[in-house]
Amino acid sequence: MANPLRLPMVPRALRNLVSKPATRRYPYEIRPRFEGARGTIEFDVDTCNYCMLCMRRCPAAAITVSREDRIWAIEHLTCIGCNVCVEVCAKKSLTMSKESKPVHTHAEVGPHGERPGHEEWHKEETQAAEPAVQAAPAVGGASPV
Amino acid sequence: MKRTVVPFGPQHPVLPEPLVLDLILEDEKVLDAIPTIGYIHRGLEMMVERVEYTEMGFVVERICGICSFMHGMGYCVSLETIMNIEIPERAAWLRLIWAEISRIQSHLLWLGLGADAFGFENLFMHCWRMREQILDIFEKTTGGRIIHSVNRIGGVKRDMSDTELAAILVQLQDLGKQFKKTANVFGTDPSIAHRLGGVGVLSMEDARAVDCVGPMARASGIATDTRLIGANYYDRIELEPVVETAGDCLARVVVRMREIDQSIDIIRQAIDKMPKGEGMPLETKPRGNPMGEVFTRLEQPRGEVLYYVKANGTKNLERFRARTPTFANIPAMIKLVKGCELADVPNIILTIDPCISCTER
Ligand code: SF4
Ligand code: SF4
Repeated sequence: MANPLRLPMVPRALRNLVSKPATRRYPYEIRPRFEGARGTIEFDVDTCNYCMLCMRRCPAAAITVSREDRIWAIEHLTCIGCNVCVEVCAKKSLTMSKESKPVHTHAEVGPHGERPGHEEWHKEETQAAEPAVQAAPAVGGASPV
Repeated sequence: MKRTVVPFGPQHPVLPEPLVLDLILEDEKVLDAIPTIGYIHRGLEMMVERVEYTEMGFVVERICGICSFMHGMGYCVSLETIMNIEIPERAAWLRLIWAEISRIQSHLLWLGLGADAFGFENLFMHCWRMREQILDIFEKTTGGRIIHSVNRIGGVKRDMSDTELAAILVQLQDLGKQFKKTANVFGTDPSIAHRLGGVGVLSMEDARAVDCVGPMARASGIATDTRLIGANYYDRIELEPVVETAGDCLARVVVRMREIDQSIDIIRQAIDKMPKGEGMPLETKPRGNPMGEVFTRLEQPRGEVLYYVKANGTKNLERFRARTPTFANIPAMIKLVKGCELADVPNIILTIDPCISCTER
């Protein structure tokens, strides 16, 4: 039977009075993510040769590639961040950025028909045709990033 | 006396997951408990028939958020056994290290939840503060905090440099020292001893009769540990199962606390023994489709997990089944709950470390 007078938490509690908090003041203070953390897939439209390998190997079927129309599209909300597409791409068109982009979860369709989390590139243009992720308005609380 | 039926769960303050028990009470005493499972059944066994075997690893990882590394590893080990793949040595050691780190993570998480359940919120926060350091290690080394996705059939995807490994060891040993102070609270606080000591006693014979696994069995004095079968390089590690004999809730807490120290020691041994150097092979590429069937056993934080995989030479597996440790421990839990007081039910349920997501897949 433990000694009823022992209060093992007391030293700890006293130390906590003077020590720094263990938590951060999120969202005002954001810890940068570690090198090599898996965040969001980034695509480089200039190097891709539309071999469709990433689409075939993606376990979540998040990528759609059309060789005829030269369209490469990803659903960020479907992507599970497994890194397989980055590994299989021979052209190194895909990279995994360590930051997670804020992805909107509301079901609204944007003014140009873009869906939340959907990004699409066409070969003719050098930039994302419909950067839906950024374009969709933030709903529900201030986004820290 | 009149009997009352009290539904316990699927939502209950102490339960992180939807376990359902119908408690049949007479006054405050529990006469019987009828478990119902299936609230979060996700149909993995059907899914395996249409997902390719290379992709199924990512699904298996998501069976559970706490032992996600071990689930991924178990699946890959099963497929490697079927396909006769010898994985590179360094990959096997890395797997072992990650597996032990996830054991520490799981035990810290559970100790926190346990403390919360018996009303010690302070202790809960301290356990989870320490667990946060482990999650940071995971994020640094695998790229994900919860879902690691480093296991592939034939090896692992990422390496840890030798300096990184040494730093991790230092960090873990430091964490071990911090944890000693917290463990001291669990071990000496009179209210904890009062709340858990002598509650839910499972004798060794009973534990054998209901086929307990993992810390639950070890707390009842059965020296069982699947790591002792020596698969996955555990034969190269010196390892004594952590055994307590009291069989009560406190003993189950103590077993898990001692296992944290044990895991840190295993990681130290592994880092000592693994081949050093940069750029070692980490993966043996699988060729063709698997054909055959296999049972794989691993020691997860909660106990022995069993995978049955049957492959028929196509891209899809014919059958995949995981018997998780919680499933094996549910009979013991029912046995313990019968005859106890209603107020002790949450503690007893928590000390089996239930993972309902695992159980229901
Ligand atoms: S694998 Fe690479 S090159 Fe091929 S379609 Fe995908 S991004 Fe383009
Ligand atoms: S990271 Fe994985 S899930 Fe996401 S797009 Fe690439 S292959 Fe698909």
